Order: sequence, then structure tokens, then C-alpha cells
Amino acid sequence: MVKVMVYPPTSMILADLVERTGHEALVVSKEVRKKVNTPGLDSPPLNMTPDDPKKGLKYAAVDVPSGVRGRMALLGPMIEEADAAIVIRGDDCTLGCTGCARTNELTRFLLKTKRIPLIELDYPEDEFSAKQFVHKIREFLEGLN
Amino acid sequence: MKSTKYVVTSQDSDVLPSDIALKIYELGREINVKETCFGVIIDGEEEDVEATAKEIRAMDPSNIFIKDRGFPPGDPRRCRGHRGGGARPGFYMMQHESEILPLISRGLAAEARGEEVPSSIGAKKRPSLEELEVMINEEFS
Amino acid sequence: MIRIAQLSCGPEYSGIQGELEKAAEMVGAELIFPEVSLEDVRNVEERFGIKVASGDLNLAMARATRIVENPDLADAVFVATCFRCAEGAIVRSEIRKYIHEKSRIPVLSYSFTERTTAETLLTRMEALVTTAKFKGLLSRERQTGLTAGIDSGSTTTKAVVMKDNQIIGTGWVPTTEVIKSAEAAYNAALESAGVKREEIEGLGTTGYGRHLVGKEFGAKLIQEEITVNSKGAVFLADAQKGEATVIDIGGMDNKAISVQDGIPGTFTMGGICAGASGRFLELTARRLGVDITELGKLALKGDHRKVPMNSYCIVFGTQSLVNSLSRGSRPEDVAMAACHSVAEQVFEQQLQEVEVKEPVIMVGGTALIEGLPRAMEQLLGLKVMVPKYAQYIGCVGASLLVSGLVED
Repeated sequence: MVKVMVYPPTSMILADLVERTGHEALVVSKEVRKKVNTPGLDSPPLNMTPDDPKKGLKYAAVDVPSGVRGRMALLGPMIEEADAAIVIRGDDCTLGCTGCARTNELTRFLLKTKRIPLIELDYPEDEFSAKQFVHKIREFLEGLN
Repeated sequence: MKSTKYVVTSQDSDVLPSDIALKIYELGREINVKETCFGVIIDGEEEDVEATAKEIRAMDPSNIFIKDRGFPPGDPRRCRGHRGGGARPGFYMMQHESEILPLISRGLAAEARGEEVPSSIGAKKRPSLEELEVMINEEFS
Repeated sequence: MIRIAQLSCGPEYSGIQGELEKAAEMVGAELIFPEVSLEDVRNVEERFGIKVASGDLNLAMARATRIVENPDLADAVFVATCFRCAEGAIVRSEIRKYIHEKSRIPVLSYSFTERTTAETLLTRMEALVTTAKFKGLLSRERQTGLTAGIDSGSTTTKAVVMKDNQIIGTGWVPTTEVIKSAEAAYNAALESAGVKREEIEGLGTTGYGRHLVGKEFGAKLIQEEITVNSKGAVFLADAQKGEATVIDIGGMDNKAISVQDGIPGTFTMGGICAGASGRFLELTARRLGVDITELGKLALKGDHRKVPMNSYCIVFGTQSLVNSLSRGSRPEDVAMAACHSVAEQVFEQQLQEVEVKEPVIMVGGTALIEGLPRAMEQLLGLKVMVPKYAQYIGCVGASLLVSGLVED
């Protein structure tokens, strides 16, 4: 069983395909879950505090905007844990945790330079490309064992 | 730790949210179920939720998709009604991906049938200069 | 309850969303998120005019289009993005212009860091809510009856007494202890007006110390300085019809306000940077061995280009000036360089955020330092007006507005 980070880290489709193959999908909602279940924190909506951009300094310098560093506080640990990754190109509807293009660029960069097994694809537009999409991902995930 | 998951059915599925709810009640674990327009939200202890999710997926593997959710259902910190209106950002992503779920379903069904994956159709070819010239002359004549 | 639509990217991840909500609550408003559909976000280029790489910014622009289509959705708009984000700054500016051009909804634009607190935002939020809530009061053009205003500033405390639309008494003292200084300024104004405190029908207070002074003196109006100062400025400059731009460089901060028909609209307020305020000019005057009241006349004789300054910062800027003096630069040139430095900083920051429309009115105590309005004229390429009583705009505005409450 391998930890596979999906990009966008909010993708239901990728997370589902990873989990049905028996691996663990690293998705940002799991990081959010840890935050909102932390007792003693009350910082709506996600229980993120000014400490999070400070944690994000590990991944981006102090002159990088706080929103990037804050998002990296969530995504950085996921990237560190990842043994493999699936990356969708041309993300069109990235909002919230993936709502910042600079954060997304940094995330993809860190994943690619980590030298872990990584596959890059586009979202399918028709049945034909969907079959290829699912097949390639399945092959990739099965090859991780 | 408690965990929450969405169970989303693709439009091609014959499984209704109410069928899923019923199945969960039958399984008898300590799981809360909330029906929504796109499927259900389930929450409970992590191991129970994981196990339940697997069994629900088995009801229609090509058409049921499972996604983790950070917040428990109805949490006021993320609820539209309590937080000045407007959908959570995650909602748009789900809506976006839901549009291509039927395609993914067909891909999964093809895999399940062991269908051979078609190789790519010839890559799109750029027209040559001569071909382009013919096209331009036709268009502007 | 005033509804402020929040159009933002990043505050939740910077850990300051709670501070934004707290600031809104403190001024009796609530933050709302106008509903948009996925299609609105996808089509934002068609509807708004641009689409950018960051999804949350596209979402903010989509919300702006919704608000303009349906102005009942919100009473005011707060646009906020991370400090140092170029994409965010560009989009914020475009959203502000878009809403300003297509609606009458007041907009506050702000760039935050993880250190932004509710207190930092309070004055701006208060001004936003006032502009949204008190349009009726703010449209008042004449002062009636016998009223007074006290402006409890960080550096000086000012007071005026007005009767039947005329200033009949003034007082101006350095701020040492807030209440004592307010007493001194108020007494001076009453004495010069020849009236007793009991005769005053209504008192308005403004400035940093407005709450303390207002409570102590039983003021009928306690109002932040953005709306009050701009109101006082257009009154004194007789510019209550049509457009005007008010530049208020105070002892410790600076503001630029766009006014339409006597009602303040878009405004920006500089952060506490001493280099862009009267504090820098005070230091310069001291260093040159002249009284602050003489600095302006000295500067008018000088040429700022003869004294290069590498920094706007009060510490490094002062160092630059001192170095120039030791190299033989004339005090006149140094004085003008200091004025130019302050004007340039305000020009590059605040004046990029509001539409600069004539007449341009400079107010506040610093406007009396003649070199400063001259430097601003040079930078803007426009005539800058400094009305009589320019340092009293806060108390004049307060006195004018409170007369509206007294009438009621």
C-alpha cells in the first residue's frame, strides 16, 4: 500500500481511483479534517491561524504572500509523505485550498522534483479519452506495488 | 478520529441515494447518513466509515465515487446558512468533476470488462503550407 | 445590519478570517459572500473582462459581477488579497474600479498579511459602514445652529466652534494627554468664539482619541476621520458639488479620499509609516534647526533634485538628508527634498488607489508646510488647493455633521 498524492489535491475522481486500487490517497480534506478537529482552536472557517503561514516558511520565503504560505502549511506535509503522485494538467476549477495559482505551481514543482513515480494527464473530454485515462491510472497504480 | 466522506453516484447509475442509505442501515455500524442531491454524506469513526465506503462502492463499482470531507456534515463553521451565504469552494470542484463522472464510469466499466484500450487516433497533424494555401484560397474566393 | 460583501483571496489561509469578521462585528456589520454559480466563475472573462490563473481571484471577480447586477445583495464591498501578490493587487484594483463605475456601492480595498488584526482594519471598516449607512447625514452641506468639533489627533488636538455656517472660534494644541489636550483645545476655541460650553448645541469628535474624548465630553457624534475629514475639506474648499479628491497627510498617517457631491466614496489609508507623514517633516525641521512653521517657506526656495534620497523610510531618509548637509547641500534643498519624499510616497501608494479628480484639496496640519503641496503639484501635474483652516478639517467636518443630528 502506497501513499499517492493527487493533484488537484481536492480531486474526487483521482482520490477514488487511488483508493479503489487499495492505496492511500493524500487529499487536502484530510489535512482540513485534522485542523477542524483540533481542540482549543476557534478560527473560522478552517481553524487556520497566523501560525500556519509561519509553518509555510518551510516551503516559501517570508516575502511570499501569506496565502501561499498558509496553503503550503496544509499541502507541504502531504507532499513530504507522498510516495507517488498523479497530476492533472490544465486545472480549470481550482478554488479554496487550490485557489492560488502560485501555490499550485509550487506544489506541482515540489512533486515533480521529488523523484517519485509520477504520472501527468489531462481530464478526459470524451469516452475514448476517458477509457485511456482510467486505464493509464490503473496501470500506474498497480505498478506501484 | 471521526471521519466524513461523500458518496457520489454518477448520473448513469441506477443506485439512488435512498438505496445507499438503506444499505448503510442494513450494515448496522454506527454511521450517520445524510442524503443530498448528488448522493449521501456519511460520518462516524474512521474504521467504520472506511469499511462502509468499500461496501457501498461494491453496490455499483463503476458508478459510485467516494471522496473525503474535512468537515462533519452540517458543521456551522462551513454552513452556507451560518456563514454569510455562498457555497464552500469544495462544492464547485465537486460540481466540476461531477460533469465528467459519466465518462469516468464508462472508463471503469470498460476496465472491468477487460476491454482492450484503444490506442490513440493519429495525432492531430498540422496542415502543410500547400494544404493551408488551398484552404485560404477556398475560403476567400 | 450593514452587509459587507467580502471578495477576497487568501484570508482563510493566512489565518485572519476571524479578524475580518471581528472588525465587521465591531462596526455593526456582517460579512457576506454573494452566491455565484460555477458558470459565473467559468465565464468571468466574458462578464468581468479578465480571467486570471488563481481560481479564488476569479471567484472574487464573479462575485463583483453579481453585486453590480443586483445591488441589493450588499451595502458595501470589502476586497482583500495578500500583500505582495501582484495578481491579487491587479485584480483588487480592477474590482474596485468596476464596482465604482457600475454602481453606487462603496468599496474598501485592502492587502493583508498574517499579522493583520481587527484593530488595524477598524477605522477603515468604520468609514466603509458610515459611507454605506449615513448617506443622508453625509450629504449635509451647511452647518446650522451653534455646534463644535474636536479632532483628537496623534500629534495635535484641534477644536472649532461654528455658528450659522461660519467658524467663529478655533483651538490647536500639541497632544500630550488625550483628555487634557482636548480640554485645552476646546477651551481655546470657546474663548476665541466668545461662547460658553453650555451654549453649544452639539459636539462631534474625531481622530484617534475620538471615543475617549467623545465619552468624556458627551459628544452627540463620534466619527472616524476618513468621512469627517473629507467632509470638512470639501466644505472649506467650497467643493461640495461634483468631484473632488482630498489628500490628508497627518502627523502619523495619510489618507486619500475620492468625494462625489460632498459625499466621501473610495478612500485609502496609508499604514503607519512615519516616512509618509508629518513626522518626517518634524524630524527634518529639527535637524535643520528651524521651527516646523518655517520649514515650508524654506522648502519653497529649494530644489529637491539637488538632494538625492535613497529611501522613504524615516530612519534611512533622515540619514540621507544628514549626509547631504554634511556634503554641503543647502538647507533649502534639503527641506524641499524632505517634502518631495513624503509627497512622492503618498503619490505612489495612496494616489494609485483612488481616482484623482480635480479639485485636489490638501488638508491636515502638514498642508500648511508650503513645500508639501508644491511637491504634490509637481508630482500630480495638477493644481493643489489648500483651503483656509486646512488643519481644522476634522473638527469642521464633525461640527458640520453634528449640526445635522441636532436639527433632527
